[in-house]
Amino acid sequence: MRRAALLVLLLLAPASAGENLVSGLSQDNIEIRSNYNGTDIVVFGAIEKPASDARPDIVVTVRGPAGDLRVRRKDRVGPIWINRSRVILRAMPGYYFAASNRPLADIASTPTLRQYGLGLAALRPSAVTGPHRPEPFLDAAIRAQSKARLYVQEDEAVEFLSGTLFRARVPLPASAPRGRYTATVYLLRGGQVIDVRSSELSIDQTGLERRIYDFAQNQPLAYGLSVVLMAMAMGWFSSLAFRKS
Amino acid sequence: MEIYLPIAQMSVHWLVLLGLGGGIGFLSGLLGVGGGFLLTPLLIFAGIPPAVAVATTSSHVTASSMSGALAQWRKGAIDLKMAAVMTLGGVAGTFAGVWLFAILRRSGQMDVTISAAYVVLLGTIGALMLRESLRSLRAARSGTPAPRRTERGWLHGLPFKQRFAASRLYISVIPPAAIGFAVGVLSAVLGVGGGFVVVPAMIYVLRMPANIVMGTSLAQIIVVTAAATVLQATNNHAVDAMLALWLVVGGVIGAQFGVRAGAKLRGEHLRLLLAVLVLGVALRLLYGLVATPRDLFSVGGS
Repeated sequence: MRRAALLVLLLLAPASAGENLVSGLSQDNIEIRSNYNGTDIVVFGAIEKPASDARPDIVVTVRGPAGDLRVRRKDRVGPIWINRSRVILRAMPGYYFAASNRPLADIASTPTLRQYGLGLAALRPSAVTGPHRPEPFLDAAIRAQSKARLYVQEDEAVEFLSGTLFRARVPLPASAPRGRYTATVYLLRGGQVIDVRSSELSIDQTGLERRIYDFAQNQPLAYGLSVVLMAMAMGWFSSLAFRKS
Repeated sequence: MEIYLPIAQMSVHWLVLLGLGGGIGFLSGLLGVGGGFLLTPLLIFAGIPPAVAVATTSSHVTASSMSGALAQWRKGAIDLKMAAVMTLGGVAGTFAGVWLFAILRRSGQMDVTISAAYVVLLGTIGALMLRESLRSLRAARSGTPAPRRTERGWLHGLPFKQRFAASRLYISVIPPAAIGFAVGVLSAVLGVGGGFVVVPAMIYVLRMPANIVMGTSLAQIIVVTAAATVLQATNNHAVDAMLALWLVVGGVIGAQFGVRAGAKLRGEHLRLLLAVLVLGVALRLLYGLVATPRDLFSVGGS
């Protein structure tokens, strides 16, 4: 299936002058159902008209919908620890994945990585709100998101299947936010970005989960009452069932 | 099999959910408490966002209290009039509590406030109960009846006196309504039913007979937690129906076993057990407040 898709891509690839990329996704619409526990997608692609026999570098990133992250720092007040300072990091990705065929530091210089947002160290909020120096808060946010497997950087996770075919497996945990995602493939040679290709994918709830979520958002009063009725009915049924036995 | 929770937006194994609900339900039936004071911290520990944990625990407590209350009702062990008076105060308290919840959430001090409130409440009540139950156990062992205090305190000077036939009391409605109000606030802010406050308050403040305390507290907890669930759903969109369903299924089954086990134990032993449990949770939370956190930073979404 995947191989067939690759073949189609290769055939349809536009003929252009220089070295360029074609890429695709194993799945562009992920549906959350009741037993959803995250999923893996595969970003694959091929290098067209390689400029030399030397293998180029490939970096794959996947970014989830952007949102604000509120980072708080605890300080000791008397005997207890409470949240004292807060910084809001604006427009941070809700999910971020970066994979490369070798360590990013070997592929390009730090300014280049920063410019294209490649790697966890290159992640920057669009703006920062708060009276504190933001660096420790940004580090803490990246640390926390990495622990939750929402920010992932994997060196050597881009796998070459031949001289020009490559793929990368992207693990999406269940807690990855719903919304539009962008998968981007970067082709680099000698530390310079030669070509960039992006594809969109979306994660959304379907079926019962979708209906529960919409119900809770659109008719919160009726939703709350239904949950209470369900709880009371279950309590009542159980006491009936156990009385007979 | 993992279960995806649509409001919490994460997946948890179904056995974890069923086990948590069942264990808490058992305690609920055994001790006449809702068990929310244990379930909320456990859910947060399992990775559920605190707001969802607090809000959803309310609905779980509704179900297990319903199951427990019906079992007590058949034994004629509910003072409906007392429950009604406490419920009126309780629903008013719930409104105040949901309002407070929103303020705390905005200020970023919710976690620490919740923990500190638990420590003070559980610590005080647990210590008082432990002392009381140890004293009555010692009295029972030495053969002398436990000293029953008969002094008529400040309670009897208050107006609006009512006769509560089932409790064999003639007291003002103000203390039960005030207890109800306080419990309503707790219910909304901490996601608890408040049984761990109501049960000792009924025994030690209102001086209700012990056999009627469990059923009456369960009856008023049903209404207060139902109100808290609806208000959390409308104000904070934090009630997860899927999480509630799994916890409730475990909870109602556990509660029935709890009631049965409770019938075989003596009142003093039950109170000792509850006291130890309450103190244990308080100490654990105190440790969390005082110990140096592994990471000083915490991250929350919008």
